Amino acid sequence: MKKSKLRLIPMIVFLVFVFSLTVLFFVSPKKEYSSSEKRYLQQAPAFSFAALFSGKFGDEFETFLSDQFAGRNLWVGLASYYQLAIGNNGSNGIYYCKDNYLVNDPCGDGRLSVNTDVIEEFAGKHSEVPVTVLIAPSTGYICSDVLPPVHKQYKDDAYFESFQEKLRDVDFVDVREAFQNEYSAGNQIYYKTDHHWTSYGAYTAYKELSPALGYEPNDESVYEKTSYEDFYGTTYSSSGFWLIPPDEIEVWENHAHDGAVKVTVIEGENRTEHDDLFFYSHLEEDDKYPVFLDGNHAYEIIENAAAASDERLLVIKDSFAHSLVPFLSDHYASITML
Amino acid sequence: MTSTLNYLPFLNIPAFKVPLPIGISFYTFQTMSYSIDVYRGDAPMQKNIITFGTYVSLFPQLIAGPIVRYKDVAYQLDHRRETLDSFTKGVMIFCIGLGKKVLIANQMGALWDAIRESGEANGWLGSWVGIIAYTFQIYFDFSGYSDMACGLGNMLGFEFLKNFNYPYISKSITEFWRRWHISLGTWFREYVYIPLGGNRKGTGRQILNLLIVWFLTGFWHGADFNFIFWGLYFGLLLIIEKFVLKRWLDKAPAFVSHIYSLFFIVIGWVLFYFSDLTQMWNYIVSMFSFGSDVIGDSAAASALSYLPMLIVAGIASTPLAAKLYGKIKTAKFIWVPQTLYCLGVLAVCTALLVSQSYNPFLYFRF
Repeated sequence: MKKSKLRLIPMIVFLVFVFSLTVLFFVSPKKEYSSSEKRYLQQAPAFSFAALFSGKFGDEFETFLSDQFAGRNLWVGLASYYQLAIGNNGSNGIYYCKDNYLVNDPCGDGRLSVNTDVIEEFAGKHSEVPVTVLIAPSTGYICSDVLPPVHKQYKDDAYFESFQEKLRDVDFVDVREAFQNEYSAGNQIYYKTDHHWTSYGAYTAYKELSPALGYEPNDESVYEKTSYEDFYGTTYSSSGFWLIPPDEIEVWENHAHDGAVKVTVIEGENRTEHDDLFFYSHLEEDDKYPVFLDGNHAYEIIENAAAASDERLLVIKDSFAHSLVPFLSDHYASITML
Repeated sequence: MTSTLNYLPFLNIPAFKVPLPIGISFYTFQTMSYSIDVYRGDAPMQKNIITFGTYVSLFPQLIAGPIVRYKDVAYQLDHRRETLDSFTKGVMIFCIGLGKKVLIANQMGALWDAIRESGEANGWLGSWVGIIAYTFQIYFDFSGYSDMACGLGNMLGFEFLKNFNYPYISKSITEFWRRWHISLGTWFREYVYIPLGGNRKGTGRQILNLLIVWFLTGFWHGADFNFIFWGLYFGLLLIIEKFVLKRWLDKAPAFVSHIYSLFFIVIGWVLFYFSDLTQMWNYIVSMFSFGSDVIGDSAAASALSYLPMLIVAGIASTPLAAKLYGKIKTAKFIWVPQTLYCLGVLAVCTALLVSQSYNPFLYFRF
């Protein structure tokens, strides 16, 4: 019986797959920067015998091969959806949830007691200055109804209890209940594609902070809210679930302080000044969150000549503060963020 | 190894770091096989240095085996024929190996990592799930690489011997070692056990020979205490089986034999994995601490997330898929499932491997 040539198709498919990826690698233009990973991609490493023998050339070449792999983001997406299909939701640290939420898995508690001790020590040393602490709960804790059936436990309740026990010299502001109420009422407190709270969430936190800091919070109607589309945040970028629709990001402006506000960004020797709390150039990017106070900087000073009082505030923060501090700026002549 | 030797009170050798060349265990044994086979007259001397070099550095199986004895491959080095059919066969076997490694072994490895991380809080069931994951990982990793080696060999016209024959369906430890890492067992039998006299010099000598072989088997895997311990553990089990348990095992129902074998195989992997003897002991204790939790939260979440893959791994450890494939192998349309399988495995494996290098520098915990 004559053997059919069709039996060679698996072999041909195999060879075509392997060699076309190889050819594509050599032929396609090399990318310099990955916007989804927010890092520079490895370019062809320089060869030298020293580099070869120290292992540096080998390492860089391997990174070069994987960083410039043809269709990289497509493959990452395929891997994420595959893991989801085999029941492994959260394999990359992000849960694919209902209602298009992409939620971080629970954070580890390795640094918890160290950090709480440091805060308590700081408050003890500076007892002449009132210290207030506000901790943002996890998205997975507040929005627990959208989580997949199998997920790791969010231990926020246990953590908050330990905060209240350990942090005695400070004013601890617990936003859990307020957030849960707002969320149950149908308001979006956290972004779906990012780990931060929304402007509404930040506003809720701002209201909860007011008794501790002693200001009268502005009513919502004071703000002009502008909504911007196509916000692809951090959880989107690291999840690989490229088919999830983007968020909208809202900027709440209080025009009463137009012209009176000055933001100084200090990076080492450089000082740059900006006359607005919001840095609109970031709205051109996928990750629009840095529109609030220009994103992550080590040291920023926000001054408001039209503030209600001439008090000064020091905020030791993570990026959640960026969307909260604009609300606070109406009540303090100067806010320093570290 | 120096840290092991330094346990002897009078020795204090400074540990000096020797970077070991990759695959050293394998090609050391291969070159020894050449010398021994030629000496014994089992194969003619190889006069061509390039052919000899090919044998020693045969890239498909250089790093992870199977250990190819010179006499098995001597003829093929100069007289093999590369055909399209053997190439296609090689492609299929290679893809099976690739699937075993990336789709199964790596997943099981991730589960094992997750369970080890939640350490104390796993509960006895959690600990069992963990070591079962490792049991699957090591099999699919090793047999996956062996399959890829055989597949590449086929593509080049070589026919290598199978290294694994569904070891986890064994009904005894004796059977397990005829199905696991076959090329290593064969090497030790041919070049150590039989030359030492095997079972031809009385029972006492046979037991000694077995202990020597198993000590060396353990040592071949690594110069740490736990590997030697692992080797001797199996040596002892084999001796007990051969002289005591055999009668009962032969009469026992299959179900009992399977559970008995798997139980000791899985415990064996605990010995193999932990080079720190304290950690090893703690892990074994956690597997049998029935007083406390059945399974911790974190371990339960991990176990459930990987449950589909655990089931797939279990089924893939049996010849079921091979039997089903055997029924349709000669059909004319067989190229269709073969092609779909190859394409599927290549695509998913590429995706999983690329995503491992995906490294977002996001300010998550900022």
